[in-house]
Amino acid sequence: MGVTRRQLLWAGAGIGAAGALAACSSGPGGSKDTTDSAAASQQPRSGGTLRVGALGKAASVTRDPHGTQGNESDYLILSLVYDTLAAPGDKTNTAPRLAATWKPSEDLKTWRFTIAEGAKFHDGTPVTADDVVWSLKRLRGTPAGASRLPGIKPENITAEDAKTVVLVSDYANADLPLLTRLTTFVLKKDTKDDQIAGSPGTGPFKLEWFRDGNARLVRNDGWYGGKVLLDAIEVRIFESPQAMANALLGGQIDVASNVGAVAARTAETRKEIQILRRPDDMAMPIVMRTTDGPFADARVREALRLAVDREAMVKQALSGYGTVGNDILGTGDPVFAKDIPQRKRDLAKAKQLLAEAGFDTSKTYDLVTTEDIAGLAESATLFATQAREIDVKINVVKQDSKVFWDATWLKAPLYTTYWGTNDSVVFFASKTMVSESGQNEAGWREPTFDEAYRKAIGAADPAERTKALHQLQEIEFAKSGYLLWGMADGIDLAGAAVRDLPKLPGYGRVQLEKTWLAR
Amino acid sequence: MAGPLIPASTADGATAPEDRSGPARILPGAGRAAWLVARRLGMLALLLAAVFAAIEVLPGDAAQATSERGESAADVAVRRAALGLDRPVTERFRDWMSGLPTGDLGTTAHGQPVTTVLSGPFPNTLLLGSLALALSITGALALGSWATLRPGGRVDRAVAAASTAAFALPEFVVSVALLLVFSQWTGWLPAVTLTGPDGAPASWDMLVLPLLALAIPQIGWNTRIVRGAFADQADLPHVQAAILDGLPRHRILTHHMLPGALPAIAVSTATSAGMLVGGAVVVETLFNYPGIGAVLAGALTDRDTPLVAGVVAVTGAAISTLLLLADLIRDRILGTHR
Repeated sequence: MGVTRRQLLWAGAGIGAAGALAACSSGPGGSKDTTDSAAASQQPRSGGTLRVGALGKAASVTRDPHGTQGNESDYLILSLVYDTLAAPGDKTNTAPRLAATWKPSEDLKTWRFTIAEGAKFHDGTPVTADDVVWSLKRLRGTPAGASRLPGIKPENITAEDAKTVVLVSDYANADLPLLTRLTTFVLKKDTKDDQIAGSPGTGPFKLEWFRDGNARLVRNDGWYGGKVLLDAIEVRIFESPQAMANALLGGQIDVASNVGAVAARTAETRKEIQILRRPDDMAMPIVMRTTDGPFADARVREALRLAVDREAMVKQALSGYGTVGNDILGTGDPVFAKDIPQRKRDLAKAKQLLAEAGFDTSKTYDLVTTEDIAGLAESATLFATQAREIDVKINVVKQDSKVFWDATWLKAPLYTTYWGTNDSVVFFASKTMVSESGQNEAGWREPTFDEAYRKAIGAADPAERTKALHQLQEIEFAKSGYLLWGMADGIDLAGAAVRDLPKLPGYGRVQLEKTWLAR
Repeated sequence: MAGPLIPASTADGATAPEDRSGPARILPGAGRAAWLVARRLGMLALLLAAVFAAIEVLPGDAAQATSERGESAADVAVRRAALGLDRPVTERFRDWMSGLPTGDLGTTAHGQPVTTVLSGPFPNTLLLGSLALALSITGALALGSWATLRPGGRVDRAVAAASTAAFALPEFVVSVALLLVFSQWTGWLPAVTLTGPDGAPASWDMLVLPLLALAIPQIGWNTRIVRGAFADQADLPHVQAAILDGLPRHRILTHHMLPGALPAIAVSTATSAGMLVGGAVVVETLFNYPGIGAVLAGALTDRDTPLVAGVVAVTGAAISTLLLLADLIRDRILGTHR
């Protein structure tokens, strides 16, 4: 069954994984050099070919850097060949990539991005602001463009000089550079659609060949970002995580990327296999509708949050590969409010809150879920069992992925959702919680929250901003429509010789230029 | 053969006397073959219509299935129009079918020509499928003959039990067992198939496990048919006469029983071909074999009608060809009057 579920994640392509892309993430996570003790004594060396397995469906292969990337294999290949303006970072949410620096105007509406010194395409031509502007406009022109670059109209993407790109936001946005970590892949200006597939990129690797989702990439010695260690990377597309794990165990590949907890359990008995956990990788909260219906009363939502046994959820639904959540989305963010006390199970208080709210415990409530990703449906079933202890009867309804995204998501009173990567606090606030947000999963409208959000993104002063973000998280903790019981780890498996794989959550894992082979 | 066929089309009876019997003999056969071809094509068209209808009834459509989370309803509507999904299904079916004779299988929901998407996987599946078919029929003939030569004996009973068990085993059970034994425990064979720049399996040994996983259940199925067909033949007077004449048993098998059993075997082979395609979806996923099964599975979740129909068209054509051959073998042996 695991096969099917994981497949469906990529099947849900447009919806599921694209959400993951849109949520391209970062966090304070692991620092780059804390690999295991054996590796620590070794100096990074260059050379060798890294064979990476990545999930994808043969039917959904895409070559367009701005297309709908449902396949992780495609995204991996694209991000090795092309560069985004910024990338997920470990100390800050956003680290420079093709854009070396950025600077906002006083009012936080106008942002100037400077292209990295020495950045050039694989054919040797330097990257100009015109190339970037053209690429961003092309990205903005895709069907999901408005959500990929929210608040930025196409005509407000301009070149100031050869090396400076100017983005003007419709509103003050202190977090605008965050948006440029997504699929802002830069291509040469005026590349025709039918030439996109083989067009030169600016990335650390050059495409040698591509066939049906498989590819071989070779080192770009002239990369502006520094020395690339591997000679080459071979990407192999895998339909199922099981097959990918088998390939790794059999030595046919060196890395099984994002292979999941089931494979990790299999590999635990094998000494020579490294199990790499990328914390804060995926959120799969339960959504309680706040606008109307049985969960509109904040006391009922609080009761459900108090009824969940978080440790048990992490242990069983995630096989232990995860951490307990505190109902605030964006756990990997440096500004995440760690000082808000962890909500614990309190059945007595939960029952009391239900009674105060006059909650009808004679009825049975549907909790709708899908099998899009491993552990999601399990988490729903487990929660239903736990909720029985406060006399809330929950009936788990599993829906076909397509029906779920069409009929349930954004609409049902109680359902599970997931965000493929765990992004910043402000990302989730803007996408899913501000009153006017397009993907307001719980239909939440909370004036104090909106106010805190506006204060946060409009604050030029870091201290003021941090304060506003903290306030925003307090409100989210107290009243939002989310029950975030835990965060799933991202799990990669790697052979013994692989060193310095990226440890950031989400698409932080695609930056392989620092990875090397000790053999 | 080319000789008699050319005058056949222009034959007016004035050709050389020795050619006269040629057209006379070939035409009814050719007419019969043409009828069979037409029937198979008709069935394929019906099947394709059913594919379009079936995907239409599934919840969701390609525009929605391949959309991103951030796309608004209006954006999805635009993509729906771009993919032509706003038109009635009958119209889309007619358009798609009209491209078929020219080899145009349409465009996938991801904007790639269907023929491009299938160009790598289809030959791979054809390779795996035909090898599996050859293996299963050879294996079945060998086992069936072996059992037939010892009717009622220990071998016969063992083959009967083993073949039933093999057929009853789902492909994924066989696959997992093979993986455990030949890859995980012994490390003799690679667990998955990786492909090279040409899209074909990188080495021959990667074919072995998927091949066995596909062939074993079919060997079971075909052995039952072969054994049954031989058993039917054994009771016929000419076979009984040959036995009484004291002819060697293997000669009776190959010269007296096999010809009569052949139609049944041909049909079961053709049926196997269909089942192999079904099994391929599972086996290709488990062994990461770069075939059409993986494409089909993904295309279905994407509600990608042209791609699903494309897969059905090419596999359907391949299976139809086999069925046609089976029909012709039956006709040849049993005559056209059935």
